[in-house]
Amino acid sequence: MHLKSCRIGMFLWIFALGLNAFAISAPNMSANALLLYRNSNFHKEDTNFTTPDQTPNGFDVQETELQFYADVDPYTRLSMLLSIAPHYTSDGTSVSEEWGIEPEELFAESNTVPNITFKVGKFKAFMGKHNTLHTHAYPLIEAPLANTYLMGDEGLNDVGVSAALLIPTSWFNEFTLQYLRGKGGNDEFNSPTPGEGVGLVHWKNLVDLSEDLTLEVGASYASGGNSYRKDTVLSGADLTLKWRPLEGGRYTSLLWATEYLTRTQAQADVSDETGGGLASWLQYQFAERWAATYRYDNLKVTNSFDPVNLPNDTWERHSLALTYAPSEFSSYRFEYDQRHGGPVNSNGDTTEKVFYLQANFTIGAHPAHAY
Amino acid sequence: MKKIILFLSMILPVTTFAKLQVAATTTDLAAIVKQVGKEQVEVFAIAKGTQDPHQVEAKPSFMVKLRSTDLVIAQGLELESAWIQPLIQGARNPKLTGKDGLLELAVDLEPIEIPKGDVSRAEGDVHPGGNPHFQLDPVRLGKAALLIAKRLDELEPAQKEFFQKNAAAFQSEMNEKLKNWQERIKKSGVAEIVTYHKTFSYFCDRFGIRCNLQLEPKPGIPPTASHLLAVIDQMKKKNIKLVFIENLYEDSVGEKLKKDVPGVRVYRLPVAVDGEPGVQTNADLIERIVKAVEEGGR
Repeated sequence: MHLKSCRIGMFLWIFALGLNAFAISAPNMSANALLLYRNSNFHKEDTNFTTPDQTPNGFDVQETELQFYADVDPYTRLSMLLSIAPHYTSDGTSVSEEWGIEPEELFAESNTVPNITFKVGKFKAFMGKHNTLHTHAYPLIEAPLANTYLMGDEGLNDVGVSAALLIPTSWFNEFTLQYLRGKGGNDEFNSPTPGEGVGLVHWKNLVDLSEDLTLEVGASYASGGNSYRKDTVLSGADLTLKWRPLEGGRYTSLLWATEYLTRTQAQADVSDETGGGLASWLQYQFAERWAATYRYDNLKVTNSFDPVNLPNDTWERHSLALTYAPSEFSSYRFEYDQRHGGPVNSNGDTTEKVFYLQANFTIGAHPAHAY
Repeated sequence: MKKIILFLSMILPVTTFAKLQVAATTTDLAAIVKQVGKEQVEVFAIAKGTQDPHQVEAKPSFMVKLRSTDLVIAQGLELESAWIQPLIQGARNPKLTGKDGLLELAVDLEPIEIPKGDVSRAEGDVHPGGNPHFQLDPVRLGKAALLIAKRLDELEPAQKEFFQKNAAAFQSEMNEKLKNWQERIKKSGVAEIVTYHKTFSYFCDRFGIRCNLQLEPKPGIPPTASHLLAVIDQMKKKNIKLVFIENLYEDSVGEKLKKDVPGVRVYRLPVAVDGEPGVQTNADLIERIVKAVEEGGR
């Protein structure tokens, strides 16, 4: 849903008027703003009126998120996350900016069912680890190549139902089953057959190796009909080691996460398209306010059904970021990415070099410390 | 029928004497629960004594522990707000999701330092309901024991007298020790202490010590060079010679103060039970701090 700026302004004004009354029963409200400066040798949006660049160079509002959650009654809680972001359109002669608002997530969860959390609504599917993160919580500014190009800019995010069972073992052992419509922005599915959705399973394990060190291992698999009237299959695995000492954990910590994601798409009479990519990142907090992050990610595509937007190639990217967080509610990140392979720019460059400067601000309810 | 009776007779004792399972957000609360519940209650602490309770992460392994927990006891006033609800939700334990599953104590213990007027994060990570760090006040600890006993009674009415008696004994012990601690602190002559965070506010309030200067410029904001210079200036003007730094924080600031303020004594102190070896009870913790006041006053 894309609205003109004035309509969004009116929406927010009406929304703000309702907040005071709403606040008594729903104190968990917060807003997050991501402001971004980008300088890349690939983003020359002003010269392309036919397909304006959605991530142009220069200063921009990357995204704003409004988040609300509260108990509906003793049995259910409701979460809503609205995303407001600029969108660039063209009339053939000039590029104009429009603002869009859409529910990034809007779901109800069970509150009193033992051992299982049922969920219904629109949510980020449990396909790997990174796919469940919101933009402001990304370890680096962009999602891994495999996530972006195999599951779309917004990742696998759709309307569906979910059941997450906490298996009674001595460690955290969760088995999640989800069923999604396979519609919306999820171009890898979008079956024309009515009722043909996407089935997904995820298995997550987390073990405390010591009081300072945890190991998380996860596996995901999703399958559903695609727009070619055949099937698309996604599968993935992730591994995360996290170290934060009980003494001094305020000042130092280390996280190493690795995720592999693969997609196979079929259509009649041609070879299957395959894509797979790895992302591995290391985040080291070396002072109370400072952290450095390095990530290597890649993507290999063969037999692409859309060689213009998804070239048959092996892509590789290195990213290095330095984050300064004056408080829990704000942070600034300087990042340099270098990608080789994949799309080529208008000058024929095969290597993209990007500098980013991102500011991240949160107001409202104290943000939850997700693990 | 005999087999059924035999079977019931085998399982009933287990059911009757099953211990209440309690999770405390801090080691201080866990220590009180141990005194009140004794052998009738099993308790574990989520934040360890060396951890900053503001900064605990919602580790899924705690969700596993909370799965079989009857009650969560928290200090409250938003001290644990960033992590306790995600843990409770992740545990998928219906006993905890209702209002009765979480007992927050500080709100019923006459909180101090309640911000006046509009609360804004321009003032740092403020707690709108007041200071949640009551664990260094023996009087409030005694009252907390009574509140805990009341909730345990509701969960296990058969043990009401037992819990009440233990809580009263704990409160008496605290009140008894209070007299001794008050005398020793008065004798020490210490009138004002600089602290890192407002963790010592209840201690200072109870024992008549001024603790108005913090090394943090605002709650949750690490010390800045300009703020430290202002604190050093105040210490010199007011002749403050004692600095308490909670051992959750690094001591480099203390080293700077030692260089810049002649005669200053800087102590890195535990502010929670198990915060250092030998500090195993609430009384041990307060005793440790009282001793530091005595030493600092010499």
